[in-house]
Amino acid sequence: MALQNGSLLSSDRKCVRSPRMKNHKLIVSQSLIRSYRASIQDELQKHAYNFVLCDPGLPDHPIVYASDGFLEMTGYSRDEVLGRNCRFLQGRDTDKRAIVEIREAIREERDCQIKILNYTKAGKPFWNLFHLAPVFSQQDGRVVHFVGVQLPISSKVAARKDGHLTGLELSFDELEFEEHFDNPSCKNYHLSEEDKQRAFAAVKAVLQELANSSCKGVSSMRSKSFSEGVIPPGFVATSLLLALTRIPHSFVLTDPHLPDMPIVHASLEFLELTGYTREEVIGRNCRFLQGPDTDLAPIEELRSSISEGQTCTIRILNYRKNKEPFWNSLHISPVRNSSGKVAYYAGIQVAVSHSSEEDEGRARMQQLGTLGAIKVAVRSIQTGPVLRKSKTIS
Amino acid sequence: MLAIKRVPTVVSVNQDCGSVSRDCLQSCFLTGFDLPLFKYTKKMKTTELQLLGDEEVPSSPPTIERSFLGTLLLSKWEERASQGLFRYDVTACESRVLSGNYGFIAQLNEGRHLKKRLTEFRVDQVLQEFDPKKFNFSKVNRNEVLFQFGEGEEAGYYDITPILSSPDIVLINVSPIEYGHVLLVPRLFDFVPQRLCANDLLLALYFTAEVDCPYFRVGYNSLGAFATINHLHFQAYYLAYPFPVECASITRINKGSLKSSLRISELVDYPVKGVVYESMDLNEIAISVASTCQELELRNIPFNLLICDCGTRVFLFPQCFARKQALHQVSQKVLDTQVNPAAWEIGGHIVLKRKEDYEHATEEFVTALLAEVSLSDPDFQDVKNIICK
Repeated sequence: MALQNGSLLSSDRKCVRSPRMKNHKLIVSQSLIRSYRASIQDELQKHAYNFVLCDPGLPDHPIVYASDGFLEMTGYSRDEVLGRNCRFLQGRDTDKRAIVEIREAIREERDCQIKILNYTKAGKPFWNLFHLAPVFSQQDGRVVHFVGVQLPISSKVAARKDGHLTGLELSFDELEFEEHFDNPSCKNYHLSEEDKQRAFAAVKAVLQELANSSCKGVSSMRSKSFSEGVIPPGFVATSLLLALTRIPHSFVLTDPHLPDMPIVHASLEFLELTGYTREEVIGRNCRFLQGPDTDLAPIEELRSSISEGQTCTIRILNYRKNKEPFWNSLHISPVRNSSGKVAYYAGIQVAVSHSSEEDEGRARMQQLGTLGAIKVAVRSIQTGPVLRKSKTIS
Repeated sequence: MLAIKRVPTVVSVNQDCGSVSRDCLQSCFLTGFDLPLFKYTKKMKTTELQLLGDEEVPSSPPTIERSFLGTLLLSKWEERASQGLFRYDVTACESRVLSGNYGFIAQLNEGRHLKKRLTEFRVDQVLQEFDPKKFNFSKVNRNEVLFQFGEGEEAGYYDITPILSSPDIVLINVSPIEYGHVLLVPRLFDFVPQRLCANDLLLALYFTAEVDCPYFRVGYNSLGAFATINHLHFQAYYLAYPFPVECASITRINKGSLKSSLRISELVDYPVKGVVYESMDLNEIAISVASTCQELELRNIPFNLLICDCGTRVFLFPQCFARKQALHQVSQKVLDTQVNPAAWEIGGHIVLKRKEDYEHATEEFVTALLAEVSLSDPDFQDVKNIICK
């Protein structure tokens, strides 16, 4: 958030991309390739709906796919929206409660259908029937993407230049939009069953397309065994992912309860530091970072610390994917979850060279600060089954 | 005079010491002391220019990254934790969400209230004079001090600086409710009692905004609303989960205007009556909230504040639980759990000290507890009248 003379500027009409997403084109295309066949973009293009796909495993939960309909509806270009969080659709009079509803649905990994006030690039407000649905991996139960379908409820925005309404656009009487009104939930609107059904149909169609095009299997529902409490190894809940991806440093989480203590989460910065992709690291033990000149002594220290449940900091020679060596100041620590028991071991990397004392101090602060942020994230209560009755605004 | 007896939370290791120890903050202040200093600025930061658009190039490279304050706070806290300065490991405390409508969060924390000695607290006087004989934050151990927070032309971080002449200090709370639990003490050496003014509240809002994390909330408890120490302070901690009050429905009670973006709303369908102030302009919120709070102080109405959303949302809860307790109007069952409904509890984060209370905690129990906090309808209406005049 920007501060100016005591005011916080919202990132409204200017699309703000997280500065960590500087390679966003690559990151975004990888997000799709990871789960679906290369033809997915063409397949999705065939549908005339307004929708986006977002990836909760990337910093700030960004858009990784946007349909033409979505771009037309909102007035942005594809390049302006890819890699950015959807909040640019929100504006001054968007009901905070609606935003909270969406956020909760994301945390709880469930569907949500809600009426929300959005804004086009030009700043024009329009009512949006927004439907959110998670896409689950059949392999490890994670949410790989969220589908967001938009159904604008204003003929002004929906009408195309040739005057025809396409896809899910509905024709309503022109609404008079007031600059200031007391209650933005806008009692003037009455969503019909038809509206809701159309939104459901769109979501269903998109989900079907994703399932058909998936490499490793995705579906709109989790596997039965998962719902019965059989959690696949390496499962990371969306709520934890959302907290972890906020942390802008290189780190991994490993699971000490699984054989060979594999990596279950790696930050974007870790992947950038080491040159590997997410698929190449998840499920593997960190030793792939070691190489021909790596000293064995610090590794021994690491091993004994882990077996005693202790923290430790070592300096170790590691290798990137391209075989380039780098000195890694590695800090490891057990991390507890909401049960109070150790759930993961965090490993935080700082690439060091011949550093001055000040640099050492700074590096240390980053490490400990990152560890603190990881502890906060992992400690949060992970929602599996829905604990709160959802209050979808109709 | 109305008073209750309760076990005060130990926030500093020196809290029960009669004498002033040599390595307490006051002594260090007099002899000279170096502390890290985080400088925030009220001007737009150069770091933010980068975020406004890809076309804009900052005039100079950013001195510190966004939310550096968060990194600083967490790293110092983690350091203190590894030095064993906290009375227990808060991450080993179990938590769960109570099923129901609100999603209250219950935590089992047996270590927080080990002290058995009851202390008397006067509950019918919200404004009380500062008493230098009682514990105040100049008496904390120097190790409990994390850094000083100050305003400057440019934002920046200085690892080692002499302590400022009128520093705003961030301390650890040795009995944390959550990871990162700290105390923010504005102008510590002015020895201001626990009462609010717009400038001090604005400092707390800037602090929250600088941490720039939706999981970081700041709370304020007036006297009579379970503040333990009569020395101006705010509390803060991280919780990567929504507070139930943040999800509550609200309905607007102030009129919109072209000049001001301040929205004041009333909580609807939440067990505690309260209002929430929302604006992107921190000044606006500070002035409006402080003015209401000062009126409440004059009328002896205790209250709690909960600052959320990086400083852009402030909840205000006028309350009367302590008064009811003093008048023996609260059920023994509720009193036995020793839950003092302060800002966090009212927000929906309940810390329980007994295992059986934690295991049997339900939404009904919390709702019943919080119901005792609210003012009566006519009294709350009076408060709304103050706000909307």
